[in-house]
Amino acid sequence: MEVILSTLINGLSLGGIYAMIALGYTMVYGIAKMLNFAHGDIIMVGGYVIYVSMALGNPLLAILFAVVFCVLLGMTIEKIAYKPLRGASPLAVLITAIGVSYLLQSLAQIIFGSASKMVTVYEFGMVQFLGVNVQVSALVTLGITVVVMIALTLFVKCTRLGRAMIAVSEDKGAAQLMGINVNGIITVTFAIGSALAALAGLFYLLKAPSISNTLGAMPGIKAFTAAVIGGIGSIPGAMLGGILLGVVECISYKITAIAPYTDAIEFSILIIILLVRPTGFLGKKRREKV
Amino acid sequence: MIKFKSIKWNHYINYVVIGLFTLIFGIIALCGGRFDNSMLFLFEKIAISVILALSLSLVVGFLGELSLGHAGFMCVGAYIGGKLAVLLEPVIGDGVLSLILGLIVGGLAAAICGVIIGIPALRLRGDYLAIVTLAFGEIVKSLFQNTSSESFGGALGLETPRFNKNYLFIFAFLLVLLTLAVIQNFIRSRHGRAVTAIRDNEIAARACGINVTKYKLLAFTISAFFAGIAGVLYSFSNYTVQSAKFGYNYSIEILVMVVLGGMGSINGSIIAAALITFLNTKLATVLTGDLAVLQNLLYAVILIIIVIYNNAPALKRFREKYNFSALFDRLLKHRKDPEHPTDDRAKWDVVPTKIEMNEVLSVDVKAQNLDPNREKGGKR
Amino acid sequence: MKNIKFVSFFLALVLCLGLLAGCGSVNYAENNTEFILGVSGPLTGSAAMYGVAVANSAQMAVEEINAAGGLNGVMFKLIATDDMHDATKVSTNYSSMLEAGMQASLGTVTTTPGLEFKNLSADDNVFFLTPSASGDKIPENPNGYQMCFADGNQGKVAADFVSANYAGKTIGVFFKSDDPYSKGIYDQFKANLDQSITIVETSFTDANTTDFSTQIDTLKACEFIFMPIYYTPASLFMTQAKDIVGKKAVYYGCDGFDGIDNIPGFDIATIPQEITMLSHFNSKATDGMAKEFIDKYVARFGQETLNQFGASAYDCVYAIYGAMKKAIDEGAEISVTISASDLCDILMAQFQGGYTLAEGVTGSNISWEASGYVNKGAIKYIIKEAN
Repeated sequence: MEVILSTLINGLSLGGIYAMIALGYTMVYGIAKMLNFAHGDIIMVGGYVIYVSMALGNPLLAILFAVVFCVLLGMTIEKIAYKPLRGASPLAVLITAIGVSYLLQSLAQIIFGSASKMVTVYEFGMVQFLGVNVQVSALVTLGITVVVMIALTLFVKCTRLGRAMIAVSEDKGAAQLMGINVNGIITVTFAIGSALAALAGLFYLLKAPSISNTLGAMPGIKAFTAAVIGGIGSIPGAMLGGILLGVVECISYKITAIAPYTDAIEFSILIIILLVRPTGFLGKKRREKV
Repeated sequence: MIKFKSIKWNHYINYVVIGLFTLIFGIIALCGGRFDNSMLFLFEKIAISVILALSLSLVVGFLGELSLGHAGFMCVGAYIGGKLAVLLEPVIGDGVLSLILGLIVGGLAAAICGVIIGIPALRLRGDYLAIVTLAFGEIVKSLFQNTSSESFGGALGLETPRFNKNYLFIFAFLLVLLTLAVIQNFIRSRHGRAVTAIRDNEIAARACGINVTKYKLLAFTISAFFAGIAGVLYSFSNYTVQSAKFGYNYSIEILVMVVLGGMGSINGSIIAAALITFLNTKLATVLTGDLAVLQNLLYAVILIIIVIYNNAPALKRFREKYNFSALFDRLLKHRKDPEHPTDDRAKWDVVPTKIEMNEVLSVDVKAQNLDPNREKGGKR
Repeated sequence: MKNIKFVSFFLALVLCLGLLAGCGSVNYAENNTEFILGVSGPLTGSAAMYGVAVANSAQMAVEEINAAGGLNGVMFKLIATDDMHDATKVSTNYSSMLEAGMQASLGTVTTTPGLEFKNLSADDNVFFLTPSASGDKIPENPNGYQMCFADGNQGKVAADFVSANYAGKTIGVFFKSDDPYSKGIYDQFKANLDQSITIVETSFTDANTTDFSTQIDTLKACEFIFMPIYYTPASLFMTQAKDIVGKKAVYYGCDGFDGIDNIPGFDIATIPQEITMLSHFNSKATDGMAKEFIDKYVARFGQETLNQFGASAYDCVYAIYGAMKKAIDEGAEISVTISASDLCDILMAQFQGGYTLAEGVTGSNISWEASGYVNKGAIKYIIKEAN
């Protein structure tokens, strides 16, 4: 019982991080209709900004810097690399995104070297919860993720800007005709996505105080998997997919016999879900128009 | 009659060049000339890269789908072909027969994986296919990594008998010729035209009665087969096959070759693969320490610039104004008007770089697609 | 037009390659003016600490030998190449070193690329004595020798220690399931462990994993945790586990732990548990050659990359030098332009024939078995006592 509970809590907190990244993926994919492969590397950039600005000694200030830097970075990348390709084939955009991802990774290696850096942001310690020792940082991660998800849902449903986003994701041409600034909306989406990635970078540092230039690569791919499982374009779907993937990963690591196959299991789930339900759990079915 | 001959020559120039190259160096090697190890290794690496780039080019450049799991197919080929060679070693030795059997079995195993992953995956749209193939690559890597040491070597990797290094490059280049022959002829055939039609407009292709799923699967399987062949070649040119190599990064490396060569250009892929492999090997001894990453940085920047340059709608006019290949033509005083190629067949190996598979889905570009000029003018 | 470009490009490439081809030359050392040693190791990447330590220490040994007059007046030179802990880089590194005139080698620094290196060098009959590639199969061929303990040996020594001290108890094991080094040690450990001991095992795969909360949770009740892994994940595990695993627990690692007390940003004093490793080098030695080595190394390269890999490489250079010297004393002809293959035969005869390195940084009276494994004493080295 205790084992199940502690595994579950670990899974939820890991899932919270995946969900945070997946939220960014799902928003960008839903609105710009592109798979932003560089999203995972924004996490890494966020982590490095925290690492550098921790020299100031104030964790909150460091986090603020990271978020601001990542927002600016996300908007710059969108402007330079993705905007010229609007209207080009998805394949071209995807390859550019892969290029951007490599660019960020190699830049980080040039600046910070290839060895991983250790940085402690803040130590929360442990609490007793139903007889289990729980890392407070895990609960903080989960809490912030839930709050962010709710805030995003409200933002999209209830504000003018949010509704404009929905309109753009439904039909760019029609949205433009209705007077919506499509390019502006896409830029805002990238800004939000990058801010979430910066937070995910923070969560990684809270969990394990180490950062290297490949920190974001695997989580990025897994979070995309989570977004697809939950149904890409759906905000609660990203949350659901992320949590599910995190829990599966922790359970799989817990069972000795299958632990080495954990990655394979996660990716198999993706393939199976795409075959059985290509739109994911909460995704909307889209008809192809001719 | 003369014209016919000149077309032939143009058609087969790449065979002739690679063939001559193989012949010259092959004769030297067979007559007892010895090359430096570094050169032999470089030849083998170049051949493997070229085969991989050709096979991925079929999927990315001509089918218009993105596969990020090509290293996975290569991994299957390397392990299956390598294992077969290990099993056969006491029976038939590690000679040519073992190499050929390994190639056939390894290639087929990869092709079977291609079918298994292709049937479900090709139903999905572009981005999803990319992510499923990526997942496939990671799964394959992880499965081979955790095999027992008796079966596939597990974490230590599979120890394979290395083929005689003085002669392996001859077989490797012959395989390049074979790959080129199959893929180029496939693309120039009716099936190939069906495949490019699917790339240019899937729905229109379907409306024309093309069996989209069948052709997609066919192209994907052929591509997987040759990736498997490259894998077998890899296992014969190395002493150990360690699955950690066949990760996502390796798939991207192959993709970079195809993109830099110009998507949809066979010769471009060959040149880019050879050049990048050559540079990688040579730079590795020059750029040491943390400088080594400059190479990755350079590739990333070139990748971004090339894709934007070739695909950005806003740059189209710029490209037409400063058409470098047209300038080059004029410099050589060729009368041929680049805008109106006299013979379409002569241009088959420079099928347009631009890929517009899903444009028809968005409203605003529909009119463009119906433009009849696109048919012949659709080039850089 | 494409075709003309294609042809011209390809001909240019052929020409380039043709220029590189130096057909027929077998002895690349023909024009050497000094003896050339080569080593391939991770000078960048996650295992860079090892590669850099080896390159630095070997260079130091070479310079010392040269300062003392070299081998009968002939100087030595070291070539270090970067393989980034990647087996596919080895063939290029190896051939470029060989063609630059390498006559004997320190092999590779890590096991994964070493598996490729051992066969490449066997083909050309090039002698190597690796400071730290500890895989069991590394010295498989007659031309290969190890200065470090083989993985199987390390696993067995660890198992003996655990069997003696923890009989009947439950111990934890944390390993990297896709790493030849980690898996190799663990397999031997498991095979040699006393039957009365129960093992709780947990593992990870991705080299970029930073979050070990599940693994820590599995092992939290164990008072002894065996960790045959490298220092980076080990340090992360310890940081995350410091409040969860019992304060009296013991972390027991192999040579991969080396350098864990020198990671920037990782303060080993904050870890309450005891950290122990099996080693052949005491980085806090206060006397003997080890002390001398430490002082010289720290003065020149700093504390950060001081570890047993470097110490071992320092010994390797001296061992090769000593064997060459002994061979000459016994009447063998070793000229500065001797081919790698000829030198290999001479060195193999020495190492097979009971050559002993009397005094080294990593032990004394170091000798080699016919299998290529090293014969010397291991020390259980406590990096940090429990708080």
